[in-house]
Amino acid sequence: MKTKKLTLFFLLIIGALLISACTGQPLTNNFPGLTADAERAYISTGSFIYAVDVQNGRQVWSYPESADNEFLYFANPVLTEDGQLLIGSAGTNHAFISLDPATGNEKWAEPFSGAKGAWVASPLVFNDTIYAPNTDGYLYVLDLNGNQVSTPIEIGGALWSAPVTDGTYIYLNSLDHHFHILNPNTNQLADPIDLGGAAPGSPTVGNDGVYAGSFSSDVKFIAPNGRNDVIASASDWIWGAPAFDNETLYYADLSGNIFSLDLKTNRQNWDSLQPDGPVTASLLVVGDQIYVATEAGSFIALDRDGKIVWEKTPGGKIYTTPVLSNDLILVAPYQAEFALAAYDADGKQAWTFTPNK
Amino acid sequence: MWELIIVQPLTNLLLWIYDVLGHGPHMFGLAIILFTVLIKLVTWPLNASQVKGAQAMQELQNDKEWQDIQKKYAKDREKLAQEQMRIYREKGINPFASCLPTLIQFPIIIGLYQSIIRALSVTPLDMLKLARTVYPFQNVENIIPLNSTFLWMDLGRPESIQILGFGLPTLAVIVALTTWMQTKLTMPATSNPNDQTAQMTRMMSIYMPLMLGWFSLTFASGISVYFIISNILGIVQYAATGRANWRNLIPGASKQTSPAKK
Repeated sequence: MKTKKLTLFFLLIIGALLISACTGQPLTNNFPGLTADAERAYISTGSFIYAVDVQNGRQVWSYPESADNEFLYFANPVLTEDGQLLIGSAGTNHAFISLDPATGNEKWAEPFSGAKGAWVASPLVFNDTIYAPNTDGYLYVLDLNGNQVSTPIEIGGALWSAPVTDGTYIYLNSLDHHFHILNPNTNQLADPIDLGGAAPGSPTVGNDGVYAGSFSSDVKFIAPNGRNDVIASASDWIWGAPAFDNETLYYADLSGNIFSLDLKTNRQNWDSLQPDGPVTASLLVVGDQIYVATEAGSFIALDRDGKIVWEKTPGGKIYTTPVLSNDLILVAPYQAEFALAAYDADGKQAWTFTPNK
Repeated sequence: MWELIIVQPLTNLLLWIYDVLGHGPHMFGLAIILFTVLIKLVTWPLNASQVKGAQAMQELQNDKEWQDIQKKYAKDREKLAQEQMRIYREKGINPFASCLPTLIQFPIIIGLYQSIIRALSVTPLDMLKLARTVYPFQNVENIIPLNSTFLWMDLGRPESIQILGFGLPTLAVIVALTTWMQTKLTMPATSNPNDQTAQMTRMMSIYMPLMLGWFSLTFASGISVYFIISNILGIVQYAATGRANWRNLIPGASKQTSPAKK
């Protein structure tokens, strides 16, 4: 009978393990975050943050030394003028940390650990103050040493995107379907503006106001005084922040449509452009080219007329917004053979980066 | 295929119930409870046949032929097992019937876990998966993000209540307790302490609560809500037949009344 008991016990254990395995990925999983300066690219891909030399694609440092599942990093790291690299953990430990961009060493005496939720969004650094939005619905206000300088500002809804500023006000989108305007001098919020749907991406600052897309599939223009209008629509959810370039606003939707809105005439510059699969990343405008990264894994350069100049498939899926470093466009695919690839304006791949084992 | 047959319908059902309930605070917890009731209704015939099977097992203990072979082949386990299987076949009894509903729950549990995580969308990647999961008729733009608060819990995360600095996993304890109660209540009385089926069921009454308790400790608390409601409904369903063996819940009580011990 002992054998039967053991058999049953082990069958149940195997069943438990199978269920654990079948439940798939870890509780928290996401596509990578990316930022860059003229020397290095910084990529957050789960347990690790890597610094990569943009000249040759070689790893400069990684943080931390060994993986700890309590700490997971997916937000775009943010560089400050005083030489910090800021990022929060989306793992079960909600630490918000500061690293030395040159070495990867921690800079603060201890991480900020006052948030109740995961850090999915990047912070905004404005007037030597860190405005860090958290999924617990609060905007945390810290000094550059990681100390809270005011009580957290309750926004409402999970905050997944970085705030932006026009130099006077701070603007941020929330998953609570609203757009919020904060006066940084008083930390007072204006009345929230209904976007009609959750807004996982950042708003974009234009000449006289801010542009915000949402899951309502509309793009709204919002003036600093709160006046707002729907100026354009898409055919599906708008995820990434619109890209503002002089008098044109570029945006995309989850059906893979790419739009170019003439802000003077409020007309679309092209009729229909749907190159290859859903787009969550913001479009990147550099010179005369518009760079599009799609979930299907395509990295596409368009000209201003919407014609495809070149198209590359680095592998994997691309959800992360590409960034510019010197003359290179950096792309961070998800579930690809490498974590980062660099392309020049002609579409020639300069290097790829795979983390050291 | 798994996605199409299990995860997508379950997620949409959950979202639909949540939308009907008004998608406010605590409503996702209520949606899980209503979802569990629906699943129980759908699997009612299966559970009913399990109840019948358990009853047949109980009646078998008093069957003269059954008792005879227990005595006759007491020292020949192989022959005893063969004879028992013969009687099972002749009487149309499935000796594992009491385990089947629990085992059949497994795909639902896995699907529900994936659906809850998908619906709550704690990361942008989850939200993207959700966007592809919802059926066109769902008014999902209005209802997401879902409010994951239910009573004191965040349904997307494992539950614990902080007491004196320690996290007490309340739901995991309740899940283990209700699972144990359900298994014990449906456990057939036996006059033979060497009855292998009864011993297997006794082992299940130990391992199943531990296993489901461990799941509750590890996974999103929405799963624990499902386990608890499912267990309670299972107990109610069995009690409604009038055959629930309540004495099994009292440690030692069943042994005292066991004829074999007299």
